[in-house]
Amino acid sequence: MRLRTVFLLIAVCLTTWGVVQAQKPFQDYSGENTEYARGEIPIPDDYNVPHEFIRARLKYTSVGILHPGNHTGRWGWGTDYPLGDRHFLQGLRRLTLIDARSVEQVVEADGSDDIYNWPFLYGVELGHWNLFQDEADQLREYLDRGGFLMTDDFHGTVEWENFMKSLHKVFSSRPVLDLDNTAEVFHVLYDLKSRVQIPGAQYLYSHIPYEFDGFEPKWRAVFDDHGRMMMAICFNQDISDAIENSDDPRYPAEWSNEAYRISANYATYALTH
Amino acid sequence: MFEFFFKYPRQVFSQGSFVFLNGWPVWMLWLGVLVAAAGLGYLIWRRSGGANINIVRSVGIWLLQTGLAALLLFMLWHPALSVATLKPQQNIVAVVVDDSSSMAVVDEGSKSRKDRAVEVLNAGLLTKLRDKFQVRVYQMTDHLKKIEKLEELNAQSPATHIGNSLKQVIADASSLPIGAVVVLSDGADNSGGIDLETVDELKRQRIPVHTVGFGREQMQHDLEITNLELPQRALPDSRLSAAVSFHQHGYAGQKAKLTIRDADKVLAAKEVTLKADGVEQLENVLFSSGPAGVRTIQAFMDLLPNEDNKRNNIVTRMVTVDQRKPRILYLEGEPRWEFKFAKRGVEDDKTIDLVTMVRTAPNKLYRQNVKDPHELEDGFPKKVEELFAFDGLMFGSLDAAYLTAPQLQMVKDFVDRRGGGLLFLGGKDSLSDGGWQSTPVNEVMPTVLPNRKDTFHWTPANSRLTPAGADSLIVRLEDDPVKNGKKWQSLPYIRNVQDIGPLKLGAVTLAEAVPMNGGGGAVPLLVTMNYGRGRTAVFATSGSWRWQMLQEVSDKSHEMFYQQLLRWLVSDTPRRVTGSSPKSLLSDESNTKLRADVRDKSYLPAGDAIVEARILGQGVTETLKMNPEPFEQGAFGVEWQAPKAGDYLVEVVAHRGDEELGRDAFTIRREDGMAENFHVEQNRGLLEKLSSETGGMYYKPEDAQKLGEEIKYSPAGITVRESRDLWDMPAIFALFLLLRGAEWLLRRKWGVI
Repeated sequence: MRLRTVFLLIAVCLTTWGVVQAQKPFQDYSGENTEYARGEIPIPDDYNVPHEFIRARLKYTSVGILHPGNHTGRWGWGTDYPLGDRHFLQGLRRLTLIDARSVEQVVEADGSDDIYNWPFLYGVELGHWNLFQDEADQLREYLDRGGFLMTDDFHGTVEWENFMKSLHKVFSSRPVLDLDNTAEVFHVLYDLKSRVQIPGAQYLYSHIPYEFDGFEPKWRAVFDDHGRMMMAICFNQDISDAIENSDDPRYPAEWSNEAYRISANYATYALTH
Repeated sequence: MFEFFFKYPRQVFSQGSFVFLNGWPVWMLWLGVLVAAAGLGYLIWRRSGGANINIVRSVGIWLLQTGLAALLLFMLWHPALSVATLKPQQNIVAVVVDDSSSMAVVDEGSKSRKDRAVEVLNAGLLTKLRDKFQVRVYQMTDHLKKIEKLEELNAQSPATHIGNSLKQVIADASSLPIGAVVVLSDGADNSGGIDLETVDELKRQRIPVHTVGFGREQMQHDLEITNLELPQRALPDSRLSAAVSFHQHGYAGQKAKLTIRDADKVLAAKEVTLKADGVEQLENVLFSSGPAGVRTIQAFMDLLPNEDNKRNNIVTRMVTVDQRKPRILYLEGEPRWEFKFAKRGVEDDKTIDLVTMVRTAPNKLYRQNVKDPHELEDGFPKKVEELFAFDGLMFGSLDAAYLTAPQLQMVKDFVDRRGGGLLFLGGKDSLSDGGWQSTPVNEVMPTVLPNRKDTFHWTPANSRLTPAGADSLIVRLEDDPVKNGKKWQSLPYIRNVQDIGPLKLGAVTLAEAVPMNGGGGAVPLLVTMNYGRGRTAVFATSGSWRWQMLQEVSDKSHEMFYQQLLRWLVSDTPRRVTGSSPKSLLSDESNTKLRADVRDKSYLPAGDAIVEARILGQGVTETLKMNPEPFEQGAFGVEWQAPKAGDYLVEVVAHRGDEELGRDAFTIRREDGMAENFHVEQNRGLLEKLSSETGGMYYKPEDAQKLGEEIKYSPAGITVRESRDLWDMPAIFALFLLLRGAEWLLRRKWGVI
């Protein structure tokens, strides 16, 4: 092989490596302590087609079981993964003009620049998250730059306290505020004047819409200095489950519909504020 | 030397006409020459047979002898010059002495230029002139004034207008026999030169203007600011670039400090290295316009040691920072990151109002930053007045089919007629992929959009500035141009690039995208163009949001880029009534023209409007009716004279019937005593041209006494025709010796003597 060709190949590899370092390609984590096994949820054919909007799922270290005797949180970041993501993205494509990719992107606050390529982050079961300080610092930088984090599916006082423990590492002084019906996020796409508690799939067995002492659904948020929401906190509800199970005839359609609408509103808000 | 050989000064030859005085016909002279040539040729041919002369030598001898014969015949015909000379005591010579403050400059020794001029006149020139002519002495400033004594000269006038002064001379010449004009000056005219009309009139009346030039033609040690270019208007807190031109003598290679200030407040400063002597140098200095109001911006360069002229290191210009907040309507075809971050980028810019509409779903539009709940509630404006209320338009990833045909035409008129700014961002449904090339808007685009889809490519690319971009404020992320270029190269890559086709004439590429995968060379990324009364731009990507997310939050590159781009988009968008003046600063002059451009609600020219200019300042309050300008629909103008130095506020108000169409205000400043501080070197070129164009001569002060004798050669005034013999010129005798001597030398050389 000629020397020039060798140098060219090296240059191409390095360029590719450089690109890869900045933005990682799609990777399927199914089966790696996630809710679904490898191959159980097929990867769409167009998974590699570039799009404007990609929902990133936050991968984090879990504190483990918080409720003895209850396996809630056992999959941690991998809860509802990847079906919840895939259904959400299909819904987004159906209901809005957002140019959404068909698959999610798993990211972590690992100190690399990768997380910054995905301005919309979804964090599930954050009642079990355990952020290290450097992770918290990077998450703060991510949000300050303009990133958006939607949190969902954590319930009750114990999980709230654990959630806030890590959140305080991210924002030591920014308050968590309750959203009322006039909040812009509830009107940006759909007018969601009244919202109900959206239970998880456990409702199909328990017939109880809440988990632990999470009786009341809470819509909360953290805002930046300009009054823009940068973190959406959907507490005492399980929007992700409602979307994940939207094709399960047992799961009440009205909750799935509401979940899709709420999620679409949050995505639209993140893309317009 | 000329006079030694040719007996008379050059002027006699330039003014006179050649004649033969013996009265014999000229054809006889030619015949005589021919006969002599033939005869000499025959003799030489006869004799060459026995002598040692070949044909070439024979011809040479024949030519020399023929030349000699022709010269003798020429002298027999009695050649002379017929020249008009001024009749003594029947003509007036106007002596015009420059009395401006530049004549107070002391170039050499201890005498000022004015004193040198007086010295020249008193050394005999004035006496010689008075011996033969009636002499009128004038003091020249911005006009002409007759004086009786030279002591009345004081070199304090703030301006020199040679052209105006000569016009007065011409006016006098219509009733007086002015035979010649003598101008004693350094040529430092403040009116921008002498107009052709004045020179033509002098030529027509055949009045020669003789000039005597005073002062050094070049300063030995001087740094002079020659120009300061600034926009006359700006938005508050916007970045402006002051283009300062200057040159120097005697300080090449040294450093000097250039400062931009507003009254006592220093806005920016820069150290510059001075180029070679006499070379015009241009430096750009960036500064902030500050809040709304009138700014008196000065460009000042620190005095260097031993400068000959210390008064030309400062130049002033006026900038009106408008108290207005332009509104931009941004219609985005889909919620996307570029929209979010572009909008965030300008949120902190209080001088621009960005009103946004995003298509969130096929039948849903999300409006933000509207002035009330009803604004744009029916979607994109359908009426001209509604759309033209904005100053700028932006389109994101929007298919052209979303707008109706009348709306598309309105968008084109928005640029062309309204004078607004139009910006397209790249996207999967933008530009060619959105079918915009098949709409009227295509005409105002800065590029020839490809006539196909698939122009939007998800190709990661780095960005870099073009040479034009290096000079542009739109893409200036760092003040220093070199650092700015590097900054652009270090920006995070953009995720996609759109093919926007080749540039149209007049379009400029400011930034390029360089694909990272090696697929092809650089392509235009940011292109701008002026069109009609407005301007258009294309930013061919939807991936610049990575400049925000992939850099630290303290880095404001993305915000700065969008703020500067959008300010450029709208800062020159005119209002319905726009007032202006060719100069915001009158330097040692008082006349200017006030102009107004008046449009109706549809921004059509309102030629039937009634327009007034209300002027306030320096105790003056006046209202002038502005008249329609011929051949310019909607344009109005009126001449105005600033009565004295100071600031004047001019407000133009336009009405049509009872309806006020609009108003605008701007400031004019008159400043005296500044013009003479600049260009104080002797403008010899101007003086020489003036004299040569009019048939006069230029003299240095030490040669000026010759003028006393040479001035009589003039075709103007009361003249008499005189003839001057040429046959006895030393040049003729020298030619005779030359011809004869040459023949003798050649014969000797060839051995045929």
